[in-house]
Amino acid sequence: MVSKVLICDDSNMARKQMARALPDHWPVEVTFAKHGQEAIELIKAHEFEVMFLDLTMPVMDGYETLEEIRKQDLPIMVLVVSGDIQPEAQERVKKLGAIDFIKKPVDQARITAVLTEYGIIGEAPNE
Amino acid sequence: MNEQITLSEDERDCYQEITNVAMGKAADRLARLLGVYVVLPIPNVNIIEINEFKMTLKSLEGNATVSAVCQGFIGAGIAGEALLIFNDASFTDIAKLLDYPGNLDKHEELEMLMDVANVLNGACIQGIGGQLDIDFSQSHPVVLGQHCSISDLLNDKQNAWQRTMAIEINYTIEDHNINCDLLLLFTEDSVLHMNRLISFLLED
Repeated sequence: MVSKVLICDDSNMARKQMARALPDHWPVEVTFAKHGQEAIELIKAHEFEVMFLDLTMPVMDGYETLEEIRKQDLPIMVLVVSGDIQPEAQERVKKLGAIDFIKKPVDQARITAVLTEYGIIGEAPNE
Repeated sequence: MNEQITLSEDERDCYQEITNVAMGKAADRLARLLGVYVVLPIPNVNIIEINEFKMTLKSLEGNATVSAVCQGFIGAGIAGEALLIFNDASFTDIAKLLDYPGNLDKHEELEMLMDVANVLNGACIQGIGGQLDIDFSQSHPVVLGQHCSISDLLNDKQNAWQRTMAIEINYTIEDHNINCDLLLLFTEDSVLHMNRLISFLLED
């Protein structure tokens, strides 16, 4: 089955990097959003399984997006992907409902490990 | 200089994202040093005329309410200056966080400014270098208007620099009256070289 994934980041390069870092064996349909508000609208209109969410963004930042998702009780798993590696930032996003925190720049091994840990993807098939 | 430096939208986006990651590292170091949460902004990346920049610097000179520290960096054909501009009102709060007792004298203010500059400039410059595979060497930080005047500094570089890429990061610290601007300035040749380096990041 194809998983629907939303990548929300204001940087075009970061969106592409994130999409490239998704596990090779994971069949996905990727949608992009440039900021939180766009993401919220997309989440309401379509069903996504997972969102990769940046924190520092114009219009609606990652924290506000998490609050909005909680307020509207939107059914989506959120993984925060950010360069803001302060321990405080990681605690805050987890309190706001993000399931985990991934440091930028992203790498495929870390993304795969996190997705496997939360049962979003199965173990990698044997090559 | 025959080739005028410009930035495409993709290149600007790329520098912004690289800075984003680098300043996150710098903020993390400062947060641990001071025991605070540093609010991270979206960095500004622009090509500016040196003349415009001189006016900005001039206005800093003789301004009693700000202090500035400048630190050069160089490596792999890329050179620039990191300029950290501090609002003097910030000193009282930083002093409290670093447990300096009582009123600060000039010497203590300077020491504090250097400490913060070392953390922020160093982590940010190395953070950018790390992503571009460049090992930057840094010069000692210099307090502007103290060990050298801003006019001297500008006259030095007058003919060499026409336009520059400026990356501007405004750090604020939550729940404290602390505010500083970090400006990273790259020479024209450096920008041309960096544009080539980042092209591999921009490939589809």
